[in-house]
Amino acid sequence: MPRLRLGRWLIAIPMSLLALATIYPLLFTANVAMKTRRDYILDRFGLTDALRLENIETAWTSVGLGRYFANSLLVVTSSVALLLLLGSMAGFALSQLRFRGSSALFLGCLAGLFIPFQVIMVPLARIMADTALIDTYPGLVLVYVAQFLPFTVFLMTSYYRGIPPEIVDAARIDGNTVYGVYRRIMLPLGTPALLSVGILNALFCWNDVLMALVMMPSAEHRTLMVGVTSLRGQYSDNIPTFASGVLIAAIPVLLVYLFLQRQIADGVAAGSTKG
Amino acid sequence: MPIGNTRPSVRPAPAGRAGGPAVTSSPRRDGALRRRAGGGSGAERLAPYILVAPAVLIIVLLRLYPLVLGVNFSFTGDGAQNGTAVGFGNYRELFADPLFRTALSNVGLLVLLLPVAVAIPGLLATFIYLRVPGHRLYRSVYFFPAVLSPVIVGAIFNLLLAFDGPLNAVLGAVGVGPIDWLGDPGIAMFMVVGVHIWATFGMALVVFLAGFATLDAALLDAARVDGASMPQVVWHVIVPSLSRTIQFVFVTTMIGMLTSMFGLLYVMTSGGPEGATYLPEFYIWKQQGQMNRPALASAASTVLFMIMLVVGLLQIKLLERSGKED
Repeated sequence: MPRLRLGRWLIAIPMSLLALATIYPLLFTANVAMKTRRDYILDRFGLTDALRLENIETAWTSVGLGRYFANSLLVVTSSVALLLLLGSMAGFALSQLRFRGSSALFLGCLAGLFIPFQVIMVPLARIMADTALIDTYPGLVLVYVAQFLPFTVFLMTSYYRGIPPEIVDAARIDGNTVYGVYRRIMLPLGTPALLSVGILNALFCWNDVLMALVMMPSAEHRTLMVGVTSLRGQYSDNIPTFASGVLIAAIPVLLVYLFLQRQIADGVAAGSTKG
Repeated sequence: MPIGNTRPSVRPAPAGRAGGPAVTSSPRRDGALRRRAGGGSGAERLAPYILVAPAVLIIVLLRLYPLVLGVNFSFTGDGAQNGTAVGFGNYRELFADPLFRTALSNVGLLVLLLPVAVAIPGLLATFIYLRVPGHRLYRSVYFFPAVLSPVIVGAIFNLLLAFDGPLNAVLGAVGVGPIDWLGDPGIAMFMVVGVHIWATFGMALVVFLAGFATLDAALLDAARVDGASMPQVVWHVIVPSLSRTIQFVFVTTMIGMLTSMFGLLYVMTSGGPEGATYLPEFYIWKQQGQMNRPALASAASTVLFMIMLVVGLLQIKLLERSGKED
C-alpha cells in the first residue's frame, strides 16, 4: 500500500470538512424540528433547549403524515415482495435453465433498463387509466414493479450465474421438479442477493415522488414523499413543523442506512461491476 | 454469456429418457435435455417459460409497449385534435417553446458540469483508497445523502437556502448578501445542480471504490518505488487502470442528472424562477399533468429518450473498446 506522510493529514482536513457538510444539513433540520416557531425565528443555529416532540406530533397527526406513512409502507412492502419473487424466478430460469429463446428474453428484460419512467409517463398513465388502475394501490405497486424489475432480474440473473450448475443437477436427480429446485435450493441460496436487491428496491420505492405524483392523484392516497412536498406550500411560515415532516420521512431511511449500510453499498457496487 | 456449456457427453446419460433420439441434434438442444433429467412432462418442459413469464409480461406491457405507444402519441394532436395525426406539429411547437429550449440548454449545462460531478467522487475515492486518516468514516458519511429521497434533500436545502434562511444569515453576519439563491434566474439552476451533486456523489464514490478493489496494489507500489509523485501516480497508474469504472460513472451520472432531478426541481424551484430551472423531465410532467397536453409531453419524452439513447450507445461503444483492451 502506498504511503503518504504529511500529505495524508493535509488531505484529511478538507475531507473532514466535507464530511461535516454532508451530515450537517440533516442535523440542522433535526434541531429545527425540536424548536418552537419563536425559537427558530430568534435563533436559527442555537441548539434546542429541550427535546420537544410537539412539532413531530403535529406533522404526524393534524398534517396527516401518519396516514401517508402507512400508505408508503403498504406500497413499498408489496412492491418489494413482488419484485423479489418475480425477479428471483426469472433470474433462476435465465441463469440455470436452458430453453429456446432464453437469451432473447434476457435481452428483452435488459432493454427495460434503458427506458426511464419520464419517457413513458404519458402512455403509462393512460394505460393505467384505461384499466382503472390509476389512483389505486395495486396500480402504483405495478408501476413500481415495472420500473425496478429490469434491474432486479439483471442482478438476480448475475448472482445465480455464480451458482455451479451441478447443484441444480443434483437436486433434479434427487427427484425435485423445477419449481422444487427454485423453492428449496435457489431461494435460500439467493438470500444475500435478495437482501441486497430488496433493500435497494425498498429505498427506490420509498424515495420516489414522480411516479406516485402521476399515478396517485387523490390526497388520501398520497405517499409520504408526496405528502412532504405538499407541506411546502402549507407550512412555509411554520418552519419547525415543515422540518418535522422532513425528519419523519428521513428517519426510516436513516435507520435502514445505519443497520444495512454494507448491503446497500454492495448492491450498488454489484450493479456497477456486473454492468 | 451463456453458462452450462459443459458437453452433455461428459456425464453418462440416463438410459431410456424421453427424447433419447435427439442426442444427435444440436448441442444447444442437448444442453436443454440435460437439465431436464426427469425426462420432461409437458409441465416440466414449460417450467422455464412459466418462471420467466410474469417478469417478461410486466416489462413488455408496462415498459416496452408504452415506449412505442408514446412515440405514436407524439405524432397526434391534443385537445380538440385528440387522436388525429398532426405529423411533426408537436415537435415544431416543442422546439419553438422557450421553456423547452431552456430545458435543453440546461441539459447542455449538465453536460458541462458532468466532469466536475465525476471528478469529485473520483478524487475522494482515491484518497479513501490511499487510506487517508479516517477513511472508514468518510466512506459511510459521504454515502449517506445518496440514500435520501430528492424530496428530503430538496426540502432541507429549501430551508437552508431560503431568502430569510440560515445561509443568508451567516453571510449577512460577515457582510455579504443577502443572495436570493433559489429566486435568481442566473443562480437557481446552479444551486439545484450543486445540491444534486451533493446528494449523489456518494453513489459514484461507492462505484469508484468497487473499481479500486480490482486494482493491482503492486502496480502502485512499483510506481512509488520508482519515485513517482502523488499526482503522477493518480494520472499514470490509477486513471488508466480504472478507465472502465470512470466511463461507467460518466454514463450513470449523466443518466442520473437527466432522470432523477425531478424531486429536487419540484421541491426547490418548481421550474422557476421564470422557468430558469426547467429540465426535460419537469417539462414532460408539467405538460402532461398540469397543462393537459399529453401529446406535446409525448414529443418531449421522445426527445428525452433520444438524448438518453445517445448516452447509452456511447456507453456501449466505450464498453466495447475497453472490452478489447482487456
